[in-house]
Amino acid sequence: MPAFVSSRLFWIGALTVIVALVLPTYVSGYVLGLLTVAYYTAVFAMSWDLLFGFAGEVNFGPTFLIGVGAYTAGILDAHYSPGLSIWICIAAGALAAVVGGVILALPALRVSGPYFGLTTLVAVLMLQNFIVVAAGLTGGEIGLAVPDVISIDAKTNYWIALGFMLVSGAILFGLSRSAIGLILQASGQDKIQAGALGFNVTKHKLAAFVVSAFFSGLAGALMVFYMGTASVSTFVDVGVGVQIIIAAVLGGRRTVIGAAIGAIFLIGMGELLRPLGELATLIVSVIALLVILFFPDGFLGIIRGGAKA
Amino acid sequence: MLFWQILIDGFAISALYALGATGFTLIFGVSGVLNLSHGAIMVGAAVAAWAAAGEFGTGPYMGALIGILAGLVLAFATYFIAVRPIQRSRAIAESEKEIFILTATLLWGIIIQEAIAYLFTNNAKTVLPIVEGVTTVFGVRTPRNEYFTAVICWVAIGLLWFLVNRTRRGKSVMAASMNPRGVTLLGIELSSIYLTVWAIYGLLAGVAGILLGMFLGVSSYSVGPLTASAFSIVVLGGLGSVSGSLIAAYVVGYLETGTAYLISPAYRTIPALLLLVVVMYLRPQGLFGRR
Amino acid sequence: MSAAPMLEVNGLTKRFGGLVAVKNLSFSISPGEILGLIGPNGSGKSTAMKSVMGVERPTAGSVKLDGIELSGLPSHRIARMGVGLVFQHSRPLARQTVLENIKVALLPDKLTRLFADKDVDARARAIAERVGLGGVIDRRPPTLAFADLRRLELAKAVARSPKLVLVDEPFAGLTASEVADFSNLIREFRDDGRAVLLVDHNVKSVSALVDRVLAMYLGEKIAEGRATEVMQNETVRRVYLGGALVSTARPEASFKDVTPALQVDNVGVLYGKAQALQDVSLHVHEGEFVSVVGLNGAGKTTLFNAISGLVPYSGAVKWAGRNLAGGTAAQIARDGIVQCPETRELFGDMTVRENLELGGNALSDAERGERLEWLFGLFPILKSRQPQLARTLSGGEQQMLAIARALMMKPKLLILDEPTLGLAPVILETLSKALDRLRETTKITVLLGEQNVTFALPHADRVYVLDHAKIVWEGPPDRFEAEAAANYL
Repeated sequence: MPAFVSSRLFWIGALTVIVALVLPTYVSGYVLGLLTVAYYTAVFAMSWDLLFGFAGEVNFGPTFLIGVGAYTAGILDAHYSPGLSIWICIAAGALAAVVGGVILALPALRVSGPYFGLTTLVAVLMLQNFIVVAAGLTGGEIGLAVPDVISIDAKTNYWIALGFMLVSGAILFGLSRSAIGLILQASGQDKIQAGALGFNVTKHKLAAFVVSAFFSGLAGALMVFYMGTASVSTFVDVGVGVQIIIAAVLGGRRTVIGAAIGAIFLIGMGELLRPLGELATLIVSVIALLVILFFPDGFLGIIRGGAKA
Repeated sequence: MLFWQILIDGFAISALYALGATGFTLIFGVSGVLNLSHGAIMVGAAVAAWAAAGEFGTGPYMGALIGILAGLVLAFATYFIAVRPIQRSRAIAESEKEIFILTATLLWGIIIQEAIAYLFTNNAKTVLPIVEGVTTVFGVRTPRNEYFTAVICWVAIGLLWFLVNRTRRGKSVMAASMNPRGVTLLGIELSSIYLTVWAIYGLLAGVAGILLGMFLGVSSYSVGPLTASAFSIVVLGGLGSVSGSLIAAYVVGYLETGTAYLISPAYRTIPALLLLVVVMYLRPQGLFGRR
Repeated sequence: MSAAPMLEVNGLTKRFGGLVAVKNLSFSISPGEILGLIGPNGSGKSTAMKSVMGVERPTAGSVKLDGIELSGLPSHRIARMGVGLVFQHSRPLARQTVLENIKVALLPDKLTRLFADKDVDARARAIAERVGLGGVIDRRPPTLAFADLRRLELAKAVARSPKLVLVDEPFAGLTASEVADFSNLIREFRDDGRAVLLVDHNVKSVSALVDRVLAMYLGEKIAEGRATEVMQNETVRRVYLGGALVSTARPEASFKDVTPALQVDNVGVLYGKAQALQDVSLHVHEGEFVSVVGLNGAGKTTLFNAISGLVPYSGAVKWAGRNLAGGTAAQIARDGIVQCPETRELFGDMTVRENLELGGNALSDAERGERLEWLFGLFPILKSRQPQLARTLSGGEQQMLAIARALMMKPKLLILDEPTLGLAPVILETLSKALDRLRETTKITVLLGEQNVTFALPHADRVYVLDHAKIVWEGPPDRFEAEAAANYL
């Protein structure tokens, strides 16, 4: 049945892309802005899924990588604008996230089980404190305003975010289906056996970390120049990381694409329910909890289950 | 003067941390569950006490009792809604249950937090204190409530120690944290041990939440930081080690108080986090962890 | 066997903290030779194999493959140098097909190679064909039969054409015809000129296949030679069978209960897809002492866990005529069937006294005190060890504590699983005497599982032999020597 399942997924995917492509003609700038944020969040969630779903590493601190990327780009721009092109700032953000990822991964890969997760969580708390303390550099709790933005046109921003999500999604998905993705899965499944088959497990997991960090950092940096500001509550807070993890689990682990669906769903639902005020988050959380309890394979699991029946 | 101030304030805060973290670590020790709705349960208990004592005029004692009851109810709800269904699920692989329980308890915590915000707004709430007035010791003027907090915390911890080390039920809980299979072989139902542990946890978290509400006040914004602080204390002390968390609570409490008074309140949490990072890298099982 | 040895292991030692798992082990294997490495649980054979593979890092000694030192290298390097390991417990990728699973083993360990070479597909298909997976090549592992999952492990291990193949318990869980298939596959490896190391519990299961056998016990080599020689070896026989056999059995007719207290009817247990117990029936009368003997891996522990309600099973277990299905394990223990498991399951960070008191958790204070006194009479050493933490006890003392803790529950039926595992002969003596006293002074019913026949037989009224998940013999202990001993090892 795999051909049928993938074809069904393919059609759903194609339909979604078409909808995303024609959307700017019909909806308001506000909705486009919302979707722009959703697309960046989708990249965060997909990057996280590469680490968890394939390499088997539970990273509780996706926002460490995102935050390092976002703030590096933001700080560079705030201090050197207009001498420095924002694209260089963005590239520097992605690079900084990769360096941060390696620094985080090297010691973290030595420990296993819950301790890996704890290490990553502590990294987030450290970054958060650093930003608050080094307020002169980072803007502290108020946030860092960057002088430049990519564009003030909602449509342009939307196209950039959509393009970025599609390209990163294609790369991450392709990677997960490639030889490296298979080796990663084998390592995540059984580290000892993967070693006995001749694979340097540490090297492959480190590579997964680097890729995950690169896309997280890049997305973080791009988002800074969309929003025009970087703040702890949008990029670093543990709560943001939690939302990313929930998005990935909700959409369906180990699918990459599911993570994107989950992220767009979470943000979309939050907005649809906004008129309900405080109840909005409550309802979204209840839905997410119900999905996790009753459909542990997430949205994609539901679709696939339907295809099998 | 400043020395005494730090000593007294630090002691009260540390006692509160210790009480909050004890139940958290006990659950991990017995059933391997890291309950990320911890902060929400503490705040839930405090808000229930606040609402009963203030809004509905039951007075501080009755309010505290209702708060503790709320803690108990929330703890059981957490277990039955977000933990047990996953533990018993066949659809979720054993190796993935950890991340599922973490995610589910986290969501459950958010649900409690949002429900509180919806029903009682986001405003900070101070629970009507049982003990009022100010007293001066060593030239430091301190609210009597602060001493009261420390005393109650230690009484509660003492009771827990007594329960675990001196009663049959408590000993079987202890035994289950070392070897669950051994307990089953001795004819003791693990399911009833879990219920006992969640009940103890609910009581401890409830008391800690109410005391916090009287001492510093709570709001739905305190949920995250409360979970995080319990989490770091427990990691520092060694997951599952009750005595380790008690010591870690004092280390963290004094580091924070000292930093706040001597350097700046803005830097409050940083030294403790640095310590946590160092411990994680050098000794990931925590200062007193058994593993 | 004229060629120079391919694998040379010299003075291999592996310590885990204070425990010496492998002590100064030396052996060699030539190309085109199959060596069987055998020993009971805890003898260090698996650790030795893992040390060759680099999964465990040897504490001392050398492991040379064609003269190149492997010791200290990470396992992926060792694999690249031509060593393959067939794992006993496999966790294949569940969402990929059999073909893709085999392809994984053929992928390059390079980050720059996103896609595999074109010939990988053809090679993977050839390997699948060779190990007999040709018919299921597009299926996913969760839908495969157990034997096919084992074939998949074999396929992965030999995918890179290793010079040396290590096989962990090649035949565990396989049927007789599957064993024959696997033996042929392993012989083919040998005929290709590879060196093969088979690791198993006992000589019997590998004797038809191996060129040479090395027997280990408590981390050391105790015998080496042809399979028949090793089976005749005095030390080996003592380890597996113990010394001379004596018996003081009471005839089954002397037990007056018409319906036996414990009835196990046609019980079967599956671990995943492996048949761990097949159609096992046995009974124990009230007051009777029944021994189930069998080598490690025969299914004794599984049988006891089924009786204790710790694993799901088919068939029925009846206790005093009542079916036990549906009760929790703790409920069964409270009903009087108390198991003292092979793993002991003590509360390591509690004192001896606390462990015992927990055993008597359902008793009144007075009863508990009485029971404690009685147990201290049975195991005097425990009395002096009361305030000590259980994990600081010696192995023999821990075993006594485990038995004593089970006895604290006032069991009607005591299940003892491998009490002699890893214990020195002196301790066996003490344990043996305690069991004698128990049998003589109380009316307790005992079901003892043992590999060591000399320990199991003297106490027993009746004996069952368990082999490959099935009961193969039943009778009084004095007939064991004549009827069952020859096939036992």
